[in-house]
Amino acid sequence: MTEPAFEVVDGGLLTTVQDEGRPAWTHLGVPESGAADPWSLAVANLLVGNEPGAAVLEMTVTGPSLVARSDVTISLAGADLGARVEHGRALPTGRSHRLAAGDVLTFNGGRGAGATGGIRGYLAIAGGVGVPLVLGSRSTCLPGGFGGLAGRALRTGDLVEAGPWISPGAAGRPRRSEAGWSPELVWPEAGDDDRASGAGNDVALRLIAGPDPGIDALVAGRWRVGSAFDRVGVRLDGEPLAGGTGGETTSHGLPWGAVQVPPDGRPIILGADHQTTGGYRVLGVVISADLPILGQLRPGADVRLVAIDRAQAVDALADRRDALAAGAAAVREAAGWSELVDTAGG
Amino acid sequence: MREGSAEGVDRSGGLAEPTIEPFGDAALLIDLGPATDQAQAVRAQALAAAIEAGRTTTPAIGRPVPAHASVFVPFDPLEMTLEDAIAVARSAIATSALPGPTALDSGDDTPIEIPVRYGGPDGPDLENVAAAHGLRPEEVVELHAAARYRVLFLGFAPGFGYLGGLPPALVTPRRDNPRERVPAGSVGIAGGHTAVYPLAMPGGWQLIGRTDIVLFDPDRPDPALLWPGATVRFVPVDDR
Repeated sequence: MTEPAFEVVDGGLLTTVQDEGRPAWTHLGVPESGAADPWSLAVANLLVGNEPGAAVLEMTVTGPSLVARSDVTISLAGADLGARVEHGRALPTGRSHRLAAGDVLTFNGGRGAGATGGIRGYLAIAGGVGVPLVLGSRSTCLPGGFGGLAGRALRTGDLVEAGPWISPGAAGRPRRSEAGWSPELVWPEAGDDDRASGAGNDVALRLIAGPDPGIDALVAGRWRVGSAFDRVGVRLDGEPLAGGTGGETTSHGLPWGAVQVPPDGRPIILGADHQTTGGYRVLGVVISADLPILGQLRPGADVRLVAIDRAQAVDALADRRDALAAGAAAVREAAGWSELVDTAGG
Repeated sequence: MREGSAEGVDRSGGLAEPTIEPFGDAALLIDLGPATDQAQAVRAQALAAAIEAGRTTTPAIGRPVPAHASVFVPFDPLEMTLEDAIAVARSAIATSALPGPTALDSGDDTPIEIPVRYGGPDGPDLENVAAAHGLRPEEVVELHAAARYRVLFLGFAPGFGYLGGLPPALVTPRRDNPRERVPAGSVGIAGGHTAVYPLAMPGGWQLIGRTDIVLFDPDRPDPALLWPGATVRFVPVDDR
């Protein structure tokens, strides 16, 4: 039995094991789950030579405190939660890092990146996080209490194992060099058009119209992320939509990113752990390319909803995929993985 | 903009022609029309089964989710155009509407039996439900246990099946104040549906009893006890 990668000193606000989720069981009411920011899941994994969908630790607002029980290669992506080695160096986000057995990894909640700074950090371990597959995924299903580490968030005393799942394209053993990701790719920014028109501290989320009418009223509203936010969904505070805009309908299947409006006129955007069916009107759906931004919305942030059409949404998703592939290629080159593979016997 | 039309060829005994619409950038919603009865749910199940059967040759299509009168169909928009996804849905609609035996009229329909302790601490709303209908609590139990239910669809929580077939005399609105924690196994009524909570969670259903049967276990080969289309009966037990 090898030593685990980490022992949990303190679990933080909410730290869970997440991968790409389990989309194949939704017909039985099982939520998709998976990383709330799938872009940062992929970035974190690529930085340590894992497959992009390998299991990582998803950390929320205040990260955990972890002591390394063995020498381990990790990476950090997503929101900068202020990682540092106790009595030692700060660990920047968007890079891989080598930790030695005995190092204590702490997070101080970040450097006050403001309302647009995000709330979820991702910690990948070379080889992935070693927990069993449940219904085809290592993700924690918090609503169902299964998957991940005992179906719950990490807490004091838990042991986090490293998995054996190094990508065939990467080194065949823990890497010795540290890799970085170009800074403009670390954060899942909205598209260029949007950045150009956006001013100030609000976060833009692009939507396409949902099956129920009313997206114009939704987009015209001034919204702020409410204090009711979790992996199931985010409540938007603001002037409620006029009576009759929201409402109930016959329950049907729902996508991640659906903007539900109950009779009270207050929108709810569904997250990764959302219920598979629901009976509130859906006025819009966050585009797939912006789900990473949805997963990083900070309570109190001003949110600007922008309506686009479906063709634009698919183009934006293709751009994300291409940017990820380009970033991954750059990391591989910089890290000299092919060279490491060649000399793996030495 | 809606696909299909009411003037289309009627292959389904008077039910409306389905409409197909994109739902976000990565899914379709096939709407079968008003959710009138169990027939619509059975139709949705057949349609979802036809789409599921075709996924071996169209891997860009995700797991379809049937509901009371609709099927949600996710797909990968970078691997498949909207037009092609709609064509898959249309083809499945045609296949699943062909005449043939359905779960509704198939003879072999052995019900899943769920033993229930009615009333008392396990069913704190039993007396209220009885009072709302001018019944005695025992009469509510008799009516609830005598009926045969059909799983219309699963949703809300892992393994949570919405059961159709509640006797009209028991149709009861949700509680005005949802509970913060409903114990696992609780049997409830909301509107025209009855259901069992697979796990402890918040909920607003009227609770009339509780079962010890495990409704959802991710480590079982069939994790959910119930599946869309299954028939169910409740068996009163008194083993407190």
